[in-house]
Amino acid sequence: MQSKKANEDVSPDLKVRPSVSATSPESLWNERFLWGLGLIQASINDQISNRKKHRMSKASTWNSSQSMSITQAFLIHLICGLGLAVGICVAHNVYSINLISHPSHTLCLILAVETPIVILLYSCFRQNPDKCSYLKAVVRAILGLSVGALISALGAIALGAPVGIQYLLKTINWSLLISLFTCVPAASVFGSSWADWQRIFAHTKPNRSIEYMICIPAHTAIIGAWFGAWPMPLDWEKPWQEWPICVSYGAMVGYLVGIVASLGLAIVRGRKQHHKGD
Amino acid sequence: MGMAKLWIIGTLTVIHIVGILIFTRGFLLTRTELPYYSNCSDVSQSPCSSPNPPQCWTGPAVDRLVIIVLDALRFDFVAPTTFFKESKPWMNRLPILQRLASINGSSSARIFKAIADPPTTSLQRLKGLTTGGLPTFVDVGNSFGAPAIVEDNLIHQLASNGKRVVVMGDDTWVQLFPHHFKKAYPYPSFNVKDLHTVDNGCIEHLLPSLYDEDWDVLIAHFLGVDHAGHILGVDSLPMIEKLEQYNGILEKVIDVLGSQSGQGGLHENTFLLVMGDHGQTINGDHGGGSAEEVETSIFAMGFKKSPSSIPSEFDSSSCEINLDQQKTCISTIQQLDFAVTVSALLGVPFPFGSIGRVSPELYALGAGTWNLESTNGDNSQNHSKEEEWMQNYCNVLCINSWQVKRYIDVYSASSVIGFSLDDLSLISDIYAQAEEIGSCSFKNSLLYNESSNLPLPALRRQIDAYFNFLLSVAELARSKWTEFNLQMMAVGLGIIFFSLLIHFLAIKRITNPYRISLFPSGDFEVSFRLIFAYSVVVIRACSFLSNSYILGEGKVAIFLLATTALFKLWYSVKRKMMLIEAIIFLLLITILRFTIEVGLSKQAMTSQFMSAHSSWMLEIALGHPIWIHIAEIIPISALMLLAYLLYMTMISSSSWGICKYAVLGTILCYILIAVHWASESSISSSVPMLQGIGKNSVPRIIYVMGLGQLLLLAFGQLFNKERALNSEKSLVIKTVAMLSACSSTVIILSGKQGPLIALASITGGYCIMRLENIERDPKDNTARALTFDPLSVTQWSLLATCLFFSTGHWCAFDGLRYGAAFIGFDEFVLVRQAFLLTIETFGFSYILPVFGLPFLVARQYLMGQTEKDGKLLSMQLSQIYLMYGFITATTVIATMICVAIHRRHLMVWGLFAPKFVFDVAGFVLTDVLICLAWLYYLGREDGKKRQ
Repeated sequence: MQSKKANEDVSPDLKVRPSVSATSPESLWNERFLWGLGLIQASINDQISNRKKHRMSKASTWNSSQSMSITQAFLIHLICGLGLAVGICVAHNVYSINLISHPSHTLCLILAVETPIVILLYSCFRQNPDKCSYLKAVVRAILGLSVGALISALGAIALGAPVGIQYLLKTINWSLLISLFTCVPAASVFGSSWADWQRIFAHTKPNRSIEYMICIPAHTAIIGAWFGAWPMPLDWEKPWQEWPICVSYGAMVGYLVGIVASLGLAIVRGRKQHHKGD
Repeated sequence: MGMAKLWIIGTLTVIHIVGILIFTRGFLLTRTELPYYSNCSDVSQSPCSSPNPPQCWTGPAVDRLVIIVLDALRFDFVAPTTFFKESKPWMNRLPILQRLASINGSSSARIFKAIADPPTTSLQRLKGLTTGGLPTFVDVGNSFGAPAIVEDNLIHQLASNGKRVVVMGDDTWVQLFPHHFKKAYPYPSFNVKDLHTVDNGCIEHLLPSLYDEDWDVLIAHFLGVDHAGHILGVDSLPMIEKLEQYNGILEKVIDVLGSQSGQGGLHENTFLLVMGDHGQTINGDHGGGSAEEVETSIFAMGFKKSPSSIPSEFDSSSCEINLDQQKTCISTIQQLDFAVTVSALLGVPFPFGSIGRVSPELYALGAGTWNLESTNGDNSQNHSKEEEWMQNYCNVLCINSWQVKRYIDVYSASSVIGFSLDDLSLISDIYAQAEEIGSCSFKNSLLYNESSNLPLPALRRQIDAYFNFLLSVAELARSKWTEFNLQMMAVGLGIIFFSLLIHFLAIKRITNPYRISLFPSGDFEVSFRLIFAYSVVVIRACSFLSNSYILGEGKVAIFLLATTALFKLWYSVKRKMMLIEAIIFLLLITILRFTIEVGLSKQAMTSQFMSAHSSWMLEIALGHPIWIHIAEIIPISALMLLAYLLYMTMISSSSWGICKYAVLGTILCYILIAVHWASESSISSSVPMLQGIGKNSVPRIIYVMGLGQLLLLAFGQLFNKERALNSEKSLVIKTVAMLSACSSTVIILSGKQGPLIALASITGGYCIMRLENIERDPKDNTARALTFDPLSVTQWSLLATCLFFSTGHWCAFDGLRYGAAFIGFDEFVLVRQAFLLTIETFGFSYILPVFGLPFLVARQYLMGQTEKDGKLLSMQLSQIYLMYGFITATTVIATMICVAIHRRHLMVWGLFAPKFVFDVAGFVLTDVLICLAWLYYLGREDGKKRQ
């Protein structure tokens, strides 16, 4: 539901763009999606060329706070948020299922849409791009996805998630979702650099824009999921109180809030740096 | 200094107890149930005229009685629409009752508005209807778990006076009266979503039973309307369908009864009651005290026509013209009056504890009250029928008043909190006045004497006097038994809040000399930790505001404990230390979580509020012999491991002094327990010599040894002058000795799970201790380092809560493990067994955690670092105990606020009140234990200062 709202919030921006008359919602979505990808690709190319320029100008320290503009941050977040919305929309419109009626199927669909987006996008911003190929970043992101899912599943069970055969698939899907929000971006950007992981997740001291973009949504997604578990024991007998529906909603809402917060922070930081630059 | 602080703790304990007592006086409706029963022969003690023909208290006015209970029957389901401001879709759906009750239909049928006393739940109402009394809080004293009614009641009187009772429908009846029915066709009332099972079962048996001769009273309890209301609300199609279905059934029932009501027929003098036990709101809820919930209806009809109507001054009915232009009159009756009126109609003794009055309108519907035989006699010519009826009714009221007076007298004499003397003397005065008139105490024989024609006004005056008495008793009882004393509750709460403030100031004062601020300003990280710790406590406290969270309290505690553990794990990753401890702690929490779920599934089987989910863990086949052997061996090996750990702790250091004997005694106890369990288990069949040891002697030896160890430690503390609390080492030794002295008794009472839980608590305690202050920078050695981490104390208290639930307890009286009270004893002695039960219930969750708290302070010694000086140590110890008390007080305050808010809630007596009792008991116990621990660990500080 929340994601749908987000979707409605974002769509007006897109509608400004003169588009070929929208024949069907699906084609419209696909089109928008492709358009977004194209834009991001352009900006990535931009960035790479920037970096090349940097390297040519012998800027030996890799100051990436300048390497990533606010527009890029905005686009990445926009696409991630849209991916979530598209996943829910596809589930709702194409397969006519939703999180409440078919939790694991819907989660699967959302994952299927969102995972490639997140992995492919964040892998572009991998650390030390000279030493680490794009493919390697993608592979370690997939590895991060499974390890993160395992850890979050264990954490959920410690916190009281139900255990049993009938919950197995739901728990796996949910923990993949959480892992996607938290571990995957970090895995594709940092790889196995423990110091960076510790800096971001334990000390919460992100420096660069991309680190903010990893750190804040990850934390808010976990906090959202934690709060999402609160209504579960209540006796309202609503279908969404089941594991893992409200927790997934909580995680998604948290993630979206984190996206907005990190964008806001990026803008503030950008202004500050702008002032400094002046 | 120790003593100076001890008085703070002592004062706090006293304030807590006073506050709780005042609150409890205002909250708990403390009516005690009396175990007395009325008998037919009792009536000779009454001042009333004994009935002329040999009969019981009153002559039977009806022969057979059919009671059809329609659960949650709102008043407007039955009454004609003209009684209400506007017509609603659910009205006028039982037209058969309205037609019969209208004047033109039949004069011997009538609709009553019945007023119930809250709580308006089926169980409480059935209790109220049959006993004629007001609701009580706990029947703990009398019934362990089973809700069977032990007070004198209508069904008991029927059964013991030879009336055959048949019941069908809601199985609550069978739970309440397990042995009273001749025949019972119970159907489960559990599934609210099932609209038809109970009703169809009723219908199946009701109509055939009407042709049978083998019963005197038939009760059919339909649940469909209640269930339809619960799931869909009143304004719904299934509700209307249900009501229309009932209309059809009632038509058939009345047809059958009417067809057999001729002279000599099966139902010549049968009385029909169609009634609700309580109402419901538009949403289908009930339990509270709103008008919609308490107003239900009774439709009464006698199949033998009674000759005329009663004098108008006793008829409180209001009449309206119904839609068919016929006059319908509706009277009002209190549900309180039901038991005694039905008893009078059927001619059985009134229930002992009933405080109702025989309702004139309902009583007059019974044909037998009209003395029809005498109409044939000559001497009745002089009396109008009305006068004769009044004579009869006056007699009944006389017995009624005498019975109520007897109950009030016996109750005041035997109950702890009875009525005040003023109230009692007022009641006695009114009764004496009524007796003085004495108009109807003429012998019945005189009634037939023409000369003693009683003047009508005298009779009326007499009846009015009795009414006055009965109504004032009911009013007094209501104000004493069903109304919460809000002022007292508020005062109690205020006192506890005040104590919380003192508590807080005390914590501040103790840390003051060291210039440690509890709220260090500027340091974001420290204040973040503090806020986190406090918010965990506050979240837990707030969770008590909802009944769902109280039901799942163990889960909530685990959730919060796991959250704090994850928090610690986060820090341990940050500091790159003690990662293993953090992970072990999380694993332990996961294990505890599963044990709590086993406990919850047990609770669900007995609780009326929880639906039973089949837990996946119970599906594992436990029948296999290997499992049995493993289940026997694991506790014993865990016990041996505990003994070994204790032994290793003891030999690891010298200077144990007197404590050494205590620990040695515990090791011996462990071995004894192991032998005891081995002798009980199937392994012992191969070792015959173990059988010789008596079943009871081992537990008794262990109790005695535990007591001896405690005394030894107490005397050691008393006479050992030089050993003050000067080093962490001695503190650790004392703590170990104390814990070991307590543990053996707790373990044997907890049964086979005891050693495992003990191991779990040791592991948990160790992890919390190791992880304490992990957030702090290790190099930071300033004054801030001296302050204590409240998060660890919070974890300690959460772990204690989790242990309470994982040992299979829950906050209800059926959650007590009564079997534990009989370990080592066969016969029941209240004080002794209650003491054992208390130790079993609170052992792992209150006693051991409170005595084990010093471990948190002494962690630096245990971690092999430098020692602190004695003064600092005692400061930290006092601080930690005050914090622990503060956390407990906060949760108890939340519980008290919760019961105060939910005092009219549906589940108040089933859920909130037991939770309140458990919390308060645990709270007082914690306070007392903290005082004792303070004396034991810190008491000598004072002696040192004085010397």
